[in-house]
Amino acid sequence: MSLQLVANVVVLAAIYALVSTGYVLVYRVSRVLNLAHGELMMVGAYFLVSTAGLFSSNPILALVLAALCGLVMGVLVYVVLMRWMTGEAVLAAVLITIALGILLRGLSILIWTTQQFYPAAMFGWRNPPVHVAPGVQISAASLAIVCLTIVVYIGLFVFLQFTRWGVRMRAAGQSPLLAEQRGIRLHAVYAVAWGLSTFTASLAGMLLALDSGVESTMATIGLKAFPAALVGGLDSLLGAAIGALIVAAAEIAAIQYVNPLLSDVVPFLVLLIVLAIRPWGLFGSREQLDRV
Amino acid sequence: MTAPLLAIDKLQVAYHRVAVALHGVSLRVMPQTVVALLGNNGAGKTTTLRAISGFIGLDDARVIAGSIRFAGRRIENEPPHANTSRGIVLVPERDKVFPNLTVAENLTVAVSRRADAAERRRLQALVFQYFPALAELRPRLAGLLSGGERQMLAIGSAIVCKPELLLVDELSLGLAPVVVEDLARRLSSIRQELGITVLLVEQNAGVALAVADYGYVLENGHVVLEGAAAELRGRREIQESYLGQASGEERRSYRALRPERPHG
Amino acid sequence: MRDGSPYAQELALFGTRARRIRLAAALAVLAALPFVATPFLLDLANQVLLACIGALALMLLTGFAGLISLGTAGLLAAGAYCVGVLVREVGAPFWITLPAAAVLGALLGLIFGLPSLRLRGLYLAISTLGLHFVVVYLGGEYEAREVLSTGVMIDSPSIGGFTLSSGRAWYFALLAFAALALLISVNLQRSRTGRAWRALRERDIVASALGIDVQRFKLMAFMVSATMTAVAGALFAYFRNFVSIDAFSLYLTVQYLAMIIIGGMGSIPGALLGAGFVILFPYAIEAIAAYLPERFSNMEFAIDYAAFGVVMILFLLLEPAGLMGIWQRLRNSFAARRAPAVLSRDRR
Repeated sequence: MSLQLVANVVVLAAIYALVSTGYVLVYRVSRVLNLAHGELMMVGAYFLVSTAGLFSSNPILALVLAALCGLVMGVLVYVVLMRWMTGEAVLAAVLITIALGILLRGLSILIWTTQQFYPAAMFGWRNPPVHVAPGVQISAASLAIVCLTIVVYIGLFVFLQFTRWGVRMRAAGQSPLLAEQRGIRLHAVYAVAWGLSTFTASLAGMLLALDSGVESTMATIGLKAFPAALVGGLDSLLGAAIGALIVAAAEIAAIQYVNPLLSDVVPFLVLLIVLAIRPWGLFGSREQLDRV
Repeated sequence: MTAPLLAIDKLQVAYHRVAVALHGVSLRVMPQTVVALLGNNGAGKTTTLRAISGFIGLDDARVIAGSIRFAGRRIENEPPHANTSRGIVLVPERDKVFPNLTVAENLTVAVSRRADAAERRRLQALVFQYFPALAELRPRLAGLLSGGERQMLAIGSAIVCKPELLLVDELSLGLAPVVVEDLARRLSSIRQELGITVLLVEQNAGVALAVADYGYVLENGHVVLEGAAAELRGRREIQESYLGQASGEERRSYRALRPERPHG
Repeated sequence: MRDGSPYAQELALFGTRARRIRLAAALAVLAALPFVATPFLLDLANQVLLACIGALALMLLTGFAGLISLGTAGLLAAGAYCVGVLVREVGAPFWITLPAAAVLGALLGLIFGLPSLRLRGLYLAISTLGLHFVVVYLGGEYEAREVLSTGVMIDSPSIGGFTLSSGRAWYFALLAFAALALLISVNLQRSRTGRAWRALRERDIVASALGIDVQRFKLMAFMVSATMTAVAGALFAYFRNFVSIDAFSLYLTVQYLAMIIIGGMGSIPGALLGAGFVILFPYAIEAIAAYLPERFSNMEFAIDYAAFGVVMILFLLLEPAGLMGIWQRLRNSFAARRAPAVLSRDRR
């Protein structure tokens, strides 16, 4: 495999890994599978389109503002909608996220139309290719994605392991009842989890937008990242990262050596194979299976 | 006569709106005492604890009649966190610790509105003093602890919440008698120091009556016997039915022996 | 059991006189419809009838047996493509293609159902989702390689000299198929299989403790449901004289899920109501959209999406028992005699 292919795998894996953090955060903390995650990522990208339109001479401000909007959006989604499903059957919560995804798709077309946007062009940024090794080049935005993914993973790890809120979130994820009994307010913890989830999703969406533009089919990338999270066990950030690598490698290999049309289906093939061998994913545990 | 800290009157609890688990249970817990709630599996002990602590919504259960008064206020069907902030802390039978958190994290993760940071540190130090084994195990993942250590941690994390009423569900389940005795003694000491009231649910009457001041016996959702611990210990029925000192006869239902009616 | 006691009424398929009168009236309306309705309305009715089959199939699987499947669109596509490929490659007539679609459905049901033996709940749903993508990919591959245009044209089915192409003819054909699906569903519901499925839905651990062969019944649920869905897909292909993979997106799956949610999970009349609701919904939205500002005039599908999402959310939040739940409550408030108490266990 040529180095260029390896670089492509790394970039794709970074995208999937970054998007997967959202699935893992929400699932690990509140046991909900958020199938609207792809659409939320897309809305984050559209936020950038709007802020880029307003602050085209100040890209940093536009990026920060869009990311913050993404964070607030997650909290709002929990407080307005998902909160009512806390304690209800998990399937109903998942169905609501599917409905939310459809709603978001419709709304984003109504607000931003079906036009394709290029925030990079709006900033006047050419997104030049970067030579990361002899004979290997990736776009600058792709490099940014890889770096950001690493930063986000480290940040999340530190947050979950060492901060008060992080420990509370882990506790709530393991045993919500005991957490309630020990004074941890589940609603607050879940809202933070959703906020963080859409925050990282928006970051992913924004960078993808800078790399290749925004249009309404972007949400599919979110859905394709899902197998990566699932392969890793849905419960574990490390698992998601490794799952992302596996899925990305399989996808690039399939596109390169078998058939480009397979790109949408390969992640799910990997998923099916993993589920057949280890139904609880690589890093999940048996209990997850029964809990679900 | 001092007012009881916890007063339950003719409590009826039903699961799924149809299966009645508690048929008019009444009991009193006086402040700074240890009260034991005895009975076999299915007698309704855990249901009673759940009703008090607010976890009744589990398994679609509800209080359908009667009342639970804590420090004079009615608390039936309140959510768990409301009861926690009143000072009612539960040590559950299952899921009593956070398995993927360390011992230290288990003790610090609790959020208590009743104790500020300084107070919580003091309580934690006290927990380590009475359960020195925990101090050694601070960095260990709670899921890797032995049964006895886990129970110590569960009690410790409950104490850090500064409880006024500590509900303990099945202290001895799955533990060796030596371990249980040790646990019970330490629990007794720490609660005396802090002035905590304890309602202890137990299948093992011997253990419970050794530390309790007063006891109630539940059977099929009814209170069938109550009395001071010393008195209960001496009763032949208890000895036969619950202390395993029967003379080889079949274990009979207690109610068949004595139609004793509790007051209230 | 004396006739007239509540249990006897439950057992009899066409119980009391009141029920029989209602049934006769409904049949009369159904029979008269194609002769009084406009072609547009007739087409709508046909779409609803077609959707009923798929909705009933999904209701049996998810509402009844409690096995979550996100593979509806994939199964519909499989049935449709079976017809498309057979017609295009060998010119097979419908009395070969329809059974072939049914067999393919049963086979896929077996394959889709295998994960259910090891996985539960969400993991099962995800695996069916994976299978959806595989089927869609295969269909896309076929189109890309074998077909030059973006879809397969199919002639209307004909037997003897008679061709099934008019709206009216299709109405009666679809009515027959829908009635068949309804009959199968009702009979399964009352049968030992139906009871086994209900036991599965509650707790399959308990079910197996009761001696119910969990694996066999799970697979049966998938196979029956998939067969019905594939046949619906085949009918769809003939109905539209056209098969294209673009028609079988995840949104289609969601629409069918919405049918059983909005109609009321686990309820046969609910599935029918839901099918009607979901099919007619876009047309209602279109009518309303005419009053919206100019800016939105070309984005009807987006309005449709958004409105559909909102309606699904509202039903999931406020009325989990769906339209049937609303219907029950209306009946209870009007009824002189109180309806028997219902233990709503679906909220778990």
